[in-house]
Amino acid sequence: MRILIVIPAFNEEQALGGLLDEIREVKLPNADIDVVVVDDGSTDRTSAVTREKNVRLLRLFNNLGIGGAVQAGLKLAHREDFDYAVQIDGDGQHPPAEIERLLAAAADHDLVVGTRFAEKSFRSTLMRRMGSRWLRMILRVVGVRISDPTSGLRLYGKRALRLFSETYPYDFPEPESLSVARAAGLSLAETSVKMRERQGGRSSILGFAPLYYMLKVTLAIALSYMRAPRKPRSEEPWNQK
Amino acid sequence: MEPEVMWVNRGTWVFAGVCLVIGLVHMRLLFRERISLQGSMSYLGFLAVLGAMAVFPQTAVQVANWLGFTLLSNFFFCTAIALLAILHLRALVTLSRVQLRSVALTQELALVSERLDRLAKAEAQRSQSTP
Repeated sequence: MRILIVIPAFNEEQALGGLLDEIREVKLPNADIDVVVVDDGSTDRTSAVTREKNVRLLRLFNNLGIGGAVQAGLKLAHREDFDYAVQIDGDGQHPPAEIERLLAAAADHDLVVGTRFAEKSFRSTLMRRMGSRWLRMILRVVGVRISDPTSGLRLYGKRALRLFSETYPYDFPEPESLSVARAAGLSLAETSVKMRERQGGRSSILGFAPLYYMLKVTLAIALSYMRAPRKPRSEEPWNQK
Repeated sequence: MEPEVMWVNRGTWVFAGVCLVIGLVHMRLLFRERISLQGSMSYLGFLAVLGAMAVFPQTAVQVANWLGFTLLSNFFFCTAIALLAILHLRALVTLSRVQLRSVALTQELALVSERLDRLAKAEAQRSQSTP
Protein backbone atom coordinates (compact mmCIF):
# COMPACT_ATOMS: atom_id res chain seq x y z
CA MET A 1 0.00 0.00 0.00
CA ARG A 2 1.51 3.31 -1.12
CA ILE A 3 0.62 6.48 0.74
CA LEU A 4 1.56 10.03 -0.17
CA ILE A 5 1.38 12.57 2.64
CA VAL A 6 0.58 15.97 1.14
CA ILE A 7 1.50 19.00 3.26
CA PRO A 8 0.27 22.33 1.88
CA ALA A 9 2.42 25.04 3.44
CA PHE A 10 2.45 28.79 3.20
CA ASN A 11 5.10 30.51 5.32
CA GLU A 12 5.30 27.60 7.75
CA GLU A 13 9.06 27.51 8.37
CA GLN A 14 8.56 27.44 12.15
CA ALA A 15 6.33 24.40 12.32
CA LEU A 16 7.35 22.46 9.24
CA GLY A 17 10.67 21.03 10.42
CA GLY A 18 9.15 19.48 13.54
CA LEU A 19 6.22 18.15 11.56
CA LEU A 20 8.48 16.44 9.02
CA ASP A 21 10.51 14.88 11.83
CA GLU A 22 7.30 13.56 13.39
CA ILE A 23 6.14 12.11 10.09
CA ARG A 24 9.44 10.27 9.73
CA GLU A 25 8.70 8.49 13.00
CA VAL A 26 5.31 7.24 11.82
CA LYS A 27 5.44 3.53 11.09
CA LEU A 28 2.46 1.89 9.47
CA PRO A 29 2.28 -1.84 8.78
CA ASN A 30 2.43 -2.74 5.05
CA ALA A 31 2.64 0.89 4.05
CA ASP A 32 5.18 2.63 1.90
CA ILE A 33 4.99 6.28 2.95
CA ASP A 34 6.19 9.15 0.80
CA VAL A 35 5.91 12.84 1.75
CA VAL A 36 5.53 15.93 -0.40
CA VAL A 37 5.45 19.52 0.81
CA VAL A 38 3.54 21.88 -1.45
CA ASP A 39 5.09 25.30 -0.89
CA ASP A 40 2.32 27.70 -1.83
CA GLY A 41 4.54 30.59 -2.87
CA SER A 42 6.03 31.14 0.60
CA THR A 43 8.30 34.10 1.21
CA ASP A 44 10.07 32.52 4.18
CA ARG A 45 12.32 29.43 4.41
CA THR A 46 9.57 26.86 3.89
CA SER A 47 11.23 25.45 0.75
CA ALA A 48 14.68 25.50 2.35
CA VAL A 49 13.44 23.62 5.43
CA THR A 50 11.83 21.02 3.17
CA ARG A 51 15.06 20.52 1.20
CA GLU A 52 17.10 20.29 4.41
CA LYS A 53 14.85 17.46 5.54
CA ASN A 54 15.31 15.72 2.18
CA VAL A 55 11.59 15.65 1.48
CA ARG A 56 9.91 16.01 -1.93
CA LEU A 57 8.95 19.57 -2.72
CA LEU A 58 6.36 21.02 -5.07
CA ARG A 59 7.15 24.69 -5.25
CA LEU A 60 4.28 26.81 -6.59
CA PHE A 61 5.60 30.03 -8.04
CA ASN A 62 2.38 31.89 -7.25
CA ASN A 63 0.32 31.75 -4.10
CA LEU A 64 -2.70 29.69 -5.24
CA GLY A 65 -4.34 29.36 -1.85
CA ILE A 66 -4.95 26.12 0.03
CA GLY A 67 -7.16 24.66 -2.73
CA GLY A 68 -4.59 25.03 -5.49
CA ALA A 69 -1.82 23.74 -3.22
CA VAL A 70 -3.73 20.65 -2.12
CA GLN A 71 -4.79 19.88 -5.68
CA ALA A 72 -1.16 20.01 -6.83
CA GLY A 73 -0.31 17.34 -4.24
CA LEU A 74 -3.35 15.24 -5.19
CA LYS A 75 -2.38 15.45 -8.87
CA LEU A 76 1.05 14.10 -7.97
CA ALA A 77 -0.51 11.25 -5.98
CA HIS A 78 -2.88 10.40 -8.83
CA ARG A 79 -0.20 10.50 -11.55
CA GLU A 80 2.19 8.34 -9.54
CA ASP A 81 -0.61 5.90 -8.79
CA PHE A 82 -0.56 6.12 -5.00
CA ASP A 83 -3.26 4.15 -3.23
CA TYR A 84 -3.97 6.92 -0.77
CA ALA A 85 -3.06 10.55 -0.20
CA VAL A 86 -3.25 12.06 3.26
CA GLN A 87 -3.56 15.82 3.59
CA ILE A 88 -1.95 17.32 6.69
CA ASP A 89 -1.75 21.04 7.40
CA GLY A 90 1.75 22.48 7.50
CA ASP A 91 1.08 24.44 10.71
CA GLY A 92 1.51 21.41 12.94
CA GLN A 93 -2.12 21.15 14.10
CA HIS A 94 -2.45 17.59 12.91
CA PRO A 95 -0.42 14.96 14.74
CA PRO A 96 0.89 12.57 12.04
CA ALA A 97 0.24 9.62 14.35
CA GLU A 98 -3.48 10.14 13.62
CA ILE A 99 -3.00 8.91 10.05
CA GLU A 100 -3.45 5.40 11.35
CA ARG A 101 -7.00 6.24 12.45
CA LEU A 102 -7.80 7.64 9.01
CA LEU A 103 -6.44 4.51 7.37
CA ALA A 104 -8.58 2.32 9.58
CA ALA A 105 -11.68 3.91 8.01
CA ALA A 106 -10.26 4.05 4.49
CA ALA A 107 -11.05 0.53 3.32
CA ASP A 108 -14.74 1.21 2.65
CA HIS A 109 -14.63 4.91 1.84
CA ASP A 110 -13.20 7.23 -0.80
CA LEU A 111 -12.69 10.22 1.46
CA VAL A 112 -12.11 10.16 5.21
CA VAL A 113 -12.12 13.37 7.25
CA GLY A 114 -10.37 13.63 10.61
CA THR A 115 -12.82 15.24 13.02
CA ARG A 116 -11.54 17.32 15.89
CA PHE A 117 -14.70 18.19 17.83
CA ALA A 118 -15.26 14.71 19.14
CA GLU A 119 -12.20 15.13 21.35
CA LYS A 120 -12.54 17.39 24.40
CA SER A 121 -8.86 18.27 24.22
CA PHE A 122 -9.30 20.63 21.26
CA ARG A 123 -10.58 24.15 22.06
CA SER A 124 -11.83 26.20 19.15
CA THR A 125 -13.01 29.83 19.21
CA LEU A 126 -16.74 30.60 19.61
CA MET A 127 -16.99 32.14 16.13
CA ARG A 128 -15.31 29.15 14.60
CA ARG A 129 -17.62 26.74 16.39
CA MET A 130 -20.67 28.72 15.23
CA GLY A 131 -19.34 28.77 11.70
CA SER A 132 -18.75 25.05 11.76
CA ARG A 133 -22.27 24.41 13.03
CA TRP A 134 -23.71 26.47 10.18
CA LEU A 135 -21.57 24.63 7.66
CA ARG A 136 -22.70 21.29 9.02
CA MET A 137 -26.31 22.35 8.51
CA ILE A 138 -25.70 23.53 4.96
CA LEU A 139 -23.76 20.40 4.03
CA ARG A 140 -26.50 18.22 5.45
CA VAL A 141 -28.84 19.73 2.85
CA VAL A 142 -26.64 18.30 0.09
CA GLY A 143 -26.34 14.98 1.91
CA VAL A 144 -22.96 15.37 3.63
CA ARG A 145 -22.86 14.38 7.30
CA ILE A 146 -19.44 15.42 8.56
CA SER A 147 -19.15 17.04 11.97
CA ASP A 148 -16.00 19.04 11.18
CA PRO A 149 -16.23 20.12 7.55
CA THR A 150 -13.33 22.58 7.77
CA SER A 151 -10.86 19.98 8.97
CA GLY A 152 -7.76 19.81 6.80
CA LEU A 153 -6.76 16.34 7.96
CA ARG A 154 -8.07 14.04 5.25
CA LEU A 155 -7.41 10.81 3.50
CA TYR A 156 -8.20 10.43 -0.19
CA GLY A 157 -8.66 7.07 -1.85
CA LYS A 158 -8.05 6.38 -5.54
CA ARG A 159 -11.48 7.53 -6.73
CA ALA A 160 -11.17 10.75 -4.76
CA LEU A 161 -7.69 11.31 -6.19
CA ARG A 162 -9.04 10.85 -9.71
CA LEU A 163 -11.91 13.25 -9.10
CA PHE A 164 -9.92 15.96 -7.33
CA SER A 165 -7.01 15.90 -9.72
CA GLU A 166 -9.57 16.85 -12.39
CA THR A 167 -11.66 19.30 -10.42
CA TYR A 168 -11.05 20.84 -7.04
CA PRO A 169 -12.68 23.92 -5.54
CA TYR A 170 -10.39 26.87 -4.92
CA ASP A 171 -12.64 29.30 -3.07
CA PHE A 172 -13.47 27.38 0.12
CA PRO A 173 -11.85 24.05 -0.58
CA GLU A 174 -12.50 22.08 2.61
CA PRO A 175 -16.30 22.31 2.84
CA GLU A 176 -16.80 22.67 -0.91
CA SER A 177 -14.76 19.58 -1.71
CA LEU A 178 -17.11 17.53 0.50
CA SER A 179 -20.04 18.79 -1.51
CA VAL A 180 -18.24 18.02 -4.80
CA ALA A 181 -17.34 14.53 -3.57
CA ARG A 182 -20.94 13.87 -2.56
CA ALA A 183 -22.24 15.09 -5.92
CA ALA A 184 -19.78 12.77 -7.68
CA GLY A 185 -21.08 9.82 -5.67
CA LEU A 186 -17.97 9.25 -3.56
CA SER A 187 -18.33 7.58 -0.20
CA LEU A 188 -17.47 9.91 2.71
CA ALA A 189 -16.63 9.07 6.28
CA GLU A 190 -15.23 10.78 9.33
CA THR A 191 -13.11 9.56 12.16
CA SER A 192 -12.32 11.19 15.45
CA VAL A 193 -8.76 12.49 15.75
CA LYS A 194 -6.72 14.50 18.22
CA MET A 195 -5.58 17.92 17.11
CA ARG A 196 -3.21 20.47 18.59
CA GLU A 197 -3.03 24.23 18.67
CA ARG A 198 -1.15 25.78 15.77
CA GLN A 199 2.63 25.37 16.14
CA GLY A 200 3.32 28.53 14.14
CA GLY A 201 1.97 30.78 11.41
CA ARG A 202 -1.38 32.53 11.50
CA SER A 203 -4.97 31.41 10.80
CA SER A 204 -6.54 33.02 7.75
CA ILE A 205 -9.99 33.24 9.41
CA LEU A 206 -9.85 35.65 12.33
CA GLY A 207 -12.13 37.99 14.31
CA PHE A 208 -15.52 38.57 12.67
CA ALA A 209 -14.31 37.31 9.31
CA PRO A 210 -16.05 33.94 9.97
CA LEU A 211 -19.48 35.65 9.55
CA TYR A 212 -18.62 36.84 6.05
CA TYR A 213 -16.92 33.52 5.42
CA MET A 214 -20.14 31.69 6.31
CA LEU A 215 -22.18 33.72 3.86
CA LYS A 216 -19.73 33.19 1.03
CA VAL A 217 -19.18 29.55 1.77
CA THR A 218 -22.92 28.85 1.82
CA LEU A 219 -23.24 30.14 -1.72
CA ALA A 220 -20.05 28.35 -2.76
CA ILE A 221 -21.27 24.99 -1.42
CA ALA A 222 -24.58 25.30 -3.26
CA LEU A 223 -22.81 26.26 -6.46
CA SER A 224 -20.14 23.58 -6.26
CA TYR A 225 -22.79 20.90 -5.65
CA MET A 226 -24.77 22.04 -8.67
CA ARG A 227 -21.86 22.24 -11.07
CA ALA A 228 -19.79 19.29 -9.80
CA PRO A 229 -19.22 16.42 -12.20
CA ARG A 230 -21.49 13.53 -11.24
CA LYS A 231 -18.51 11.21 -11.49
CA PRO A 232 -14.81 11.67 -12.33
CA ARG A 233 -14.43 12.32 -16.05
CA SER A 234 -12.10 9.38 -16.43
CA GLU A 235 -14.90 7.13 -15.17
CA GLU A 236 -17.29 8.27 -17.89
CA PRO A 237 -18.03 5.46 -20.38
CA TRP A 238 -16.59 7.43 -23.31
CA ASN A 239 -13.33 7.86 -21.47
CA GLN A 240 -12.74 4.25 -20.46
CA LYS A 241 -9.66 2.57 -21.87
CA MET B 1 -35.40 76.20 -26.00
CA GLU B 2 -35.91 72.94 -24.14
CA PRO B 3 -32.76 71.00 -23.35
CA GLU B 4 -33.96 67.87 -25.17
CA VAL B 5 -34.68 69.82 -28.34
CA MET B 6 -31.26 71.44 -28.20
CA TRP B 7 -29.73 68.00 -27.81
CA VAL B 8 -31.60 66.70 -30.81
CA ASN B 9 -30.90 69.66 -33.09
CA ARG B 10 -27.22 70.12 -32.48
CA GLY B 11 -26.20 66.63 -31.60
CA THR B 12 -23.26 66.10 -29.30
CA TRP B 13 -20.36 66.21 -31.64
CA VAL B 14 -17.97 66.77 -28.78
CA PHE B 15 -19.12 63.55 -27.14
CA ALA B 16 -18.88 61.75 -30.48
CA GLY B 17 -15.35 63.12 -30.82
CA VAL B 18 -14.43 61.80 -27.37
CA CYS B 19 -15.79 58.38 -28.35
CA LEU B 20 -13.74 58.53 -31.55
CA VAL B 21 -10.55 59.46 -29.69
CA ILE B 22 -11.05 56.63 -27.20
CA GLY B 23 -11.73 54.30 -30.13
CA LEU B 24 -8.50 55.40 -31.84
CA VAL B 25 -6.51 54.93 -28.64
CA HIS B 26 -8.04 51.48 -28.34
CA MET B 27 -7.12 50.64 -31.94
CA ARG B 28 -3.57 51.75 -31.27
CA LEU B 29 -3.44 49.51 -28.19
CA LEU B 30 -4.83 46.70 -30.29
CA PHE B 31 -2.07 47.00 -32.89
CA ARG B 32 0.86 48.05 -30.71
CA GLU B 33 0.22 46.45 -27.31
CA ARG B 34 -1.38 43.29 -28.69
CA ILE B 35 -4.44 43.48 -26.41
CA SER B 36 -7.05 40.79 -27.07
CA LEU B 37 -9.17 41.25 -30.21
CA GLN B 38 -12.11 39.33 -28.78
CA GLY B 39 -12.46 41.65 -25.78
CA SER B 40 -11.76 44.68 -27.96
CA MET B 41 -14.64 43.98 -30.34
CA SER B 42 -17.27 44.37 -27.63
CA TYR B 43 -15.58 47.50 -26.29
CA LEU B 44 -15.41 49.05 -29.75
CA GLY B 45 -19.06 48.09 -30.23
CA PHE B 46 -19.88 49.90 -27.00
CA LEU B 47 -18.10 53.06 -28.23
CA ALA B 48 -19.80 52.77 -31.62
CA VAL B 49 -23.26 52.64 -30.01
CA LEU B 50 -22.53 55.68 -27.83
CA GLY B 51 -20.97 57.53 -30.77
CA ALA B 52 -23.95 56.74 -33.01
CA MET B 53 -26.33 58.09 -30.37
CA ALA B 54 -24.35 61.33 -30.36
CA VAL B 55 -24.15 61.67 -34.17
CA PHE B 56 -27.73 60.60 -34.88
CA PRO B 57 -29.73 61.94 -31.93
CA GLN B 58 -32.99 61.96 -33.91
CA THR B 59 -32.79 58.20 -34.37
CA ALA B 60 -31.88 57.85 -30.70
CA VAL B 61 -34.99 59.86 -29.76
CA GLN B 62 -37.17 57.62 -31.91
CA VAL B 63 -35.74 54.47 -30.35
CA ALA B 64 -36.08 56.01 -26.87
CA ASN B 65 -39.73 56.87 -27.50
CA TRP B 66 -40.40 53.45 -28.92
CA LEU B 67 -38.93 51.88 -25.78
CA GLY B 68 -41.06 54.12 -23.57
CA PHE B 69 -38.47 56.60 -22.31
CA THR B 70 -39.75 60.15 -21.89
CA LEU B 71 -36.28 61.67 -21.52
CA LEU B 72 -33.46 60.97 -23.95
CA SER B 73 -30.94 61.30 -21.14
CA ASN B 74 -32.61 58.40 -19.28
CA PHE B 75 -32.39 56.27 -22.39
CA PHE B 76 -28.77 57.22 -22.85
CA PHE B 77 -27.78 56.34 -19.29
CA CYS B 78 -29.75 53.09 -19.31
CA THR B 79 -28.08 52.05 -22.57
CA ALA B 80 -24.63 52.98 -21.29
CA ILE B 81 -25.12 51.15 -17.99
CA ALA B 82 -26.49 48.05 -19.72
CA LEU B 83 -23.57 47.98 -22.15
CA LEU B 84 -21.07 48.50 -19.33
CA ALA B 85 -22.67 45.63 -17.40
CA ILE B 86 -22.26 43.37 -20.45
CA LEU B 87 -18.65 44.47 -20.86
CA HIS B 88 -18.00 43.78 -17.18
CA LEU B 89 -19.54 40.33 -17.47
CA ARG B 90 -17.34 39.52 -20.45
CA ALA B 91 -14.28 40.70 -18.54
CA LEU B 92 -15.31 38.54 -15.55
CA VAL B 93 -15.68 35.45 -17.74
CA THR B 94 -12.31 36.07 -19.36
CA LEU B 95 -10.63 36.67 -16.00
CA SER B 96 -12.10 33.50 -14.51
CA ARG B 97 -10.84 31.42 -17.43
CA VAL B 98 -7.41 33.00 -17.21
CA GLN B 99 -7.36 32.36 -13.46
CA LEU B 100 -8.18 28.66 -13.93
CA ARG B 101 -5.50 28.32 -16.59
CA SER B 102 -3.02 30.14 -14.39
CA VAL B 103 -3.70 27.75 -11.48
CA ALA B 104 -3.32 24.69 -13.72
CA LEU B 105 -0.15 26.08 -15.27
CA THR B 106 1.41 26.88 -11.89
CA GLN B 107 0.65 23.35 -10.68
CA GLU B 108 2.05 21.75 -13.83
CA LEU B 109 5.18 23.86 -13.56
CA ALA B 110 5.68 22.72 -9.96
CA LEU B 111 5.09 19.06 -10.90
CA VAL B 112 7.51 19.19 -13.83
CA SER B 113 10.08 21.07 -11.77
CA GLU B 114 9.88 18.45 -9.00
CA ARG B 115 10.31 15.67 -11.55
CA LEU B 116 13.35 17.38 -13.01
CA ASP B 117 14.84 17.80 -9.53
CA ARG B 118 14.43 14.08 -8.88
CA LEU B 119 15.94 13.15 -12.23
CA ALA B 120 18.88 15.47 -11.59
CA LYS B 121 19.41 13.89 -8.16
CA ALA B 122 19.24 10.39 -9.61
CA GLU B 123 21.67 11.37 -12.36
CA ALA B 124 24.08 12.86 -9.81
CA GLN B 125 23.94 9.70 -7.72
CA ARG B 126 24.54 7.55 -10.81
CA SER B 127 27.54 9.60 -11.89
CA GLN B 128 29.00 9.39 -8.36
CA SER B 129 28.63 5.63 -8.25
CA THR B 130 30.31 5.07 -11.64
CA PRO B 131 34.07 5.83 -11.65
